[in-house]
Amino acid sequence: MADLRKKFRVAVLSVVKHDYLPHAVAAHPRFELVVVTDDADQPDWVHERNQRFADEFGISYLRDIAKAIAEYELDMAVVSSEAERHCDLAVRAADAGLHVIADKPMSTRLSECDRLVEAVQRNNVKFLLWNRNFLPAVIQAKEVIQSGAIGELHAIHVDFYFSKDAGPPKGTRQLGDPPINWLERQLKAHADGSDGGVGIEAMGELQIEGIYPLGYIRMLANANVRRVFARTATHFHQVNVDNHVDDLASVSLELDNGIVGSLCIGRTGAASHPDIGEIKIHAIGSKGGIVITEARPEVSIHYRDQPPLEFRNERIANENDFLLMDDFARALDTGCEPILNAKGGRDIAATVFAAVESGKTGQPVEVTH
Amino acid sequence: MSRETFPGPHDNGRQKMIRLALIGQAKAAKSYGAIRTRLHRAVWAAFVPLTASDGQAGQALGQVTTAPSTEVLFTEQANDFDAVVIDADPGQAAVLAKAAAAGKPALASPLLADIAALGQADTMLMPAHTWRFLPSIQAVKRSLDAGKIGEPGLLRIHRWLPPEATPESLTERILPDADLACWMFGGAPEKVWTLQTPSNPEYIQFHLGFANGGMAMIDIACSLPAGGDYFSLSIIGGTGAAYADDHHNMNLLYAGDQPNALRASQGHTDLAGQLQEFVDAIHEQRQGSVLLKDAMRAIAVTEQIIESASSNHVIQQKENS
Repeated sequence: MADLRKKFRVAVLSVVKHDYLPHAVAAHPRFELVVVTDDADQPDWVHERNQRFADEFGISYLRDIAKAIAEYELDMAVVSSEAERHCDLAVRAADAGLHVIADKPMSTRLSECDRLVEAVQRNNVKFLLWNRNFLPAVIQAKEVIQSGAIGELHAIHVDFYFSKDAGPPKGTRQLGDPPINWLERQLKAHADGSDGGVGIEAMGELQIEGIYPLGYIRMLANANVRRVFARTATHFHQVNVDNHVDDLASVSLELDNGIVGSLCIGRTGAASHPDIGEIKIHAIGSKGGIVITEARPEVSIHYRDQPPLEFRNERIANENDFLLMDDFARALDTGCEPILNAKGGRDIAATVFAAVESGKTGQPVEVTH
Repeated sequence: MSRETFPGPHDNGRQKMIRLALIGQAKAAKSYGAIRTRLHRAVWAAFVPLTASDGQAGQALGQVTTAPSTEVLFTEQANDFDAVVIDADPGQAAVLAKAAAAGKPALASPLLADIAALGQADTMLMPAHTWRFLPSIQAVKRSLDAGKIGEPGLLRIHRWLPPEATPESLTERILPDADLACWMFGGAPEKVWTLQTPSNPEYIQFHLGFANGGMAMIDIACSLPAGGDYFSLSIIGGTGAAYADDHHNMNLLYAGDQPNALRASQGHTDLAGQLQEFVDAIHEQRQGSVLLKDAMRAIAVTEQIIESASSNHVIQQKENS
């Protein structure tokens, strides 16, 4: 019988981008942040952000991960580093016997995802890849589909547009100007929280955000993607043009169980939508269909002198963070798997990498499982 | 097909009313009858029912003569009308050839005949692409044409149909959205990729790649239960986006149990707008806003969509028309 009063002691292994993940962990009563840690050889900006977060919570920041693990009697680690370091930090935590929660995307390389899956299995620890599968509207979609109200599921489609800007618009680079450096742009974007792609390696929107809609599809269809055909483009932002990564993509999906689907995704610019962007789920079955707006329920708030970039619609009753942590606590208590474990995250990453390849070749690409 | 002007309906320098003939079934007469008072510079003059039992249906159009057959219309009554609207299924293809032979401008389904051959005729032929004239679609296209939303990047369409609204042939189901995609992007796609579900061959999803990175993702389902259909179109442009979405345009009805969604109606503006454009084009001696080459392009893309589904291959466009 699990001790439901037990508080899990958590180390934050790097917290360099928007810090929703460690905040969500700290907000759940079963988890306690006890230390922030990172490798000593990281650049100054990494140490500065780690230190700032440690100060916010009144905990220590150690520039020595092994030492932190040895000294703090840890149960688990939260990884919120640059994407290219996610898996390495997670593997090191798992090898130390720690459970792990990691931010998305899982990695910039599928080989790293495979290494993490192996480490999690070998060390018999739990792993959760951060996702949005507990948003109220997504839960509603799941309930409708599982109830049989639309019959046997035939197809599922997700639109996932973030109406955010990402620096200068496409086509604004002047002759003789150097290309925009990816990391420098991401560091600037930290101020408004649009630095989801922070790191040295440039990533397109498919890689940065694809986990979320593909997570919905995987959960709602209860199947992995078998093959993809994708179109990718740089349509909006000069930083994406300069770094040869997409900011708009459409992906046709064939799932293992015969269901088909699609994903349309993009960082479409702040002018393209009054709120954060059009995010929708369409599911069609043998007896009907369902159309879900991911942002609902929400409340509209308008007022004089409202800042132009302030969202007019505010999401309410969003318990995604709490429910993810509740789910992970349950996994730790009972030994069950969390809602998106290492293998699931790896399979989604494989779909993303296949889509990126398809976008380049113009041909369908099989997803390796 | 390359002609840009046609003889107009002028009588000693004075513009006259266009006298229209309708060839169709009772349902078509009823639809056109419902909008007849909205029509400028044209009146209905003749009706040819496609089935004998529809003989009285022409009354819906007002004071019209009813011809017993298309042969009679185009021979004995040829002087009683100036232009013809043909609302018939592909089985009535010969009707369009008769209209062309009689020198009558025609508004007709793009699937009605060997449309390319008819394009060589001296008379104006406007393919009926009614879907383009929906107020919501017109608003989206205006925003695109005005440059408000920038270069089109990604067009997304969901079209879900109940049995009673489902065209019989796959071609008829696909053609409207294939046309909308080509129209929005201003050309034919370079690549076509199609998926169908093994469990439901009536479902089709197609993915089109256009020049300059443009893309369209479209799905058509025919598995809704009897009742309302669902349509959603969004287009993401370089500097903005447009959303024409039934989901946004639903009102609520409370009549016990869960509330029901009621779609706000777009009325008959699509049919009226298309017919008026046909009439205006005749008056102004110009091509209609829907060209024969538009129909031919949509038909070609539709064929590629079906070919991709059957071959399981990406179809590359041979000619970017």
